[in-house]
Amino acid sequence: MAEKVYGMTTGRRVGNGVLTVVMNTIMIIFSLSCIFPLVWMFYSSLKVKREFNADIIGLPPNPTFENYAKILTNKDYHIADSLINSVRTTALSVALILLFGFVVGYILARVKFRGNRVIWIMLLMGMLIPVHSLLVPIYIVFNRTGMNNQWYTLLFPYIAFGMPIAVFLIHGYLKAVPVALEEAASIDGSSFSGTLFKIIMPICKPVMVTIAIIQTFACWNEFSFALVLLRDVGLHTVPLAMTQFTGQFSSDYPKIMSAMLITMAPIVVLYFGFSKNIIKGMVAGVVKG
Amino acid sequence: MLTRRPPLRILIGYLLIPLALYVFAVFIPLITAAFYSMFEWKGGPNKTFTGIANYIALIQDKIFWLSFSHNLYLILLCVIGQVGVAFVFVMMINTRFVKLKSIHRTFGFFPSTIAAVYVGFIWLMIYDSRRGILNWFLELIGREDLTQVWLNNTDLVMTLVSIPLIWQYIGYYMLILLSATSSIDKEIFESAELDGANAFQRSIHIVLPMIKNTVIVCLVLCVSGNMKAFDNIYVMTAGGPGNNSMVLAMYGYKVSFAQQNMGYGSAISVGIFVLGLLVIGGMQLVSNKLSKD
Repeated sequence: MAEKVYGMTTGRRVGNGVLTVVMNTIMIIFSLSCIFPLVWMFYSSLKVKREFNADIIGLPPNPTFENYAKILTNKDYHIADSLINSVRTTALSVALILLFGFVVGYILARVKFRGNRVIWIMLLMGMLIPVHSLLVPIYIVFNRTGMNNQWYTLLFPYIAFGMPIAVFLIHGYLKAVPVALEEAASIDGSSFSGTLFKIIMPICKPVMVTIAIIQTFACWNEFSFALVLLRDVGLHTVPLAMTQFTGQFSSDYPKIMSAMLITMAPIVVLYFGFSKNIIKGMVAGVVKG
Repeated sequence: MLTRRPPLRILIGYLLIPLALYVFAVFIPLITAAFYSMFEWKGGPNKTFTGIANYIALIQDKIFWLSFSHNLYLILLCVIGQVGVAFVFVMMINTRFVKLKSIHRTFGFFPSTIAAVYVGFIWLMIYDSRRGILNWFLELIGREDLTQVWLNNTDLVMTLVSIPLIWQYIGYYMLILLSATSSIDKEIFESAELDGANAFQRSIHIVLPMIKNTVIVCLVLCVSGNMKAFDNIYVMTAGGPGNNSMVLAMYGYKVSFAQQNMGYGSAISVGIFVLGLLVIGGMQLVSNKLSKD
């Protein structure tokens, strides 16, 4: 209905035409700028160094996967290692954030006990603390206890930093779940733990997915704590391995681009495969958190 | 709340491990930092108690305050460049004129999902003086006189390291604001369109108040996010040239690890903690005031 009325006001058509072109152009330039680095890096990674230095923007004259082959086969680059480290660290951190966040969030939401508020405030403080003030002290503590530079080192900060938001999201979600459900289960003879994992956990699935999405990206991309806590190159996660790699080959752009694309691949595939759900999850986490 | 409380040992069993881990990774380091900040300590076995000497030095430390001012500058640029621009984009996407909406969402959000380290590398390649796209482009349009070694420009460097951050998160805030406007009746946007010339201004007057709370959430996120800027600056300039792009986290890292000055580094960490709480706390106060009106 509104469109018909709109079409009839011929005087404004020209003005709207200009506006349409301007607005679409701005948005298209923005969208292209977001995706351009990925495209540019991909076709440039198919060049060799000499070809790239001669023409940084043109398409590869003789496309080759030489760079990829070298990076994946050369053990000294530690790119394959770093992928394994990142996958392991991210998977374990996210799984434990989900488990801990769920259990703590549930207990804080449903069980009345003396420490309830204290724990709540502690977690809230964790959300407000500027995490980078912990960078140096966490190194000192982990160094003292001999817990730095281990395969499990990063699990501690990642779980600790991810837990508060997970607890708050679970807590908020449970407000809409009636207690009568658990009371009924209890009358039917279900234990506390049984109710927790068999009845409540499946109900919380949507919010658990939100938490998993947010934390997967957060853990995979985290850099600064990995930087201070890990020394051995064999333990490095992806962002850390990349800083080493670029330092080593700072003049060979196609090689750097290939390594970047290889180590970005899991997250890029994940994003473009499930972009709708991922955006929804990230936004929900922000708006509700 | 449950009427029948589960046995205490079950509660403790469930809470002990998560909370112990949390205290170990968050609170123990904080206390440790407060402790070591009162020592002259180079990370080795010897340390000397110096009381508040580190804090006196910190208050007089020009680089520390310069770094803080850079964080504030970054916040200013990002509030305008991320939240401000995102808002304008949202207003445009909500009109019927703009096509390809779902592409803009998917592509626009993408940069915020990759690591800040990678964004830093990408922009390093853009700014590169010999093989960079920026200088290539300037040559292309015949302005060779403007080409330079960008990241060595002491006046521009702080702005240049801010641009990647702004670019990375415009889409992020755009999607958050879009989700807030999605509950607004589409007729509001369209009635504003029909009015023609000042449509934009009108939609701001109508729409902005309706999504005020989400805008405030975005501002809080933007401010706290930029107080901890580190990753992309670490890979792009490491705070240089000189200290022209030094930010708080970078300075704390440099003093503690590059100069091995752990005692003073701990004092800087406490300083970052206090300044961070002040800025974020101040922001919360302002936002509480705003959202009450």
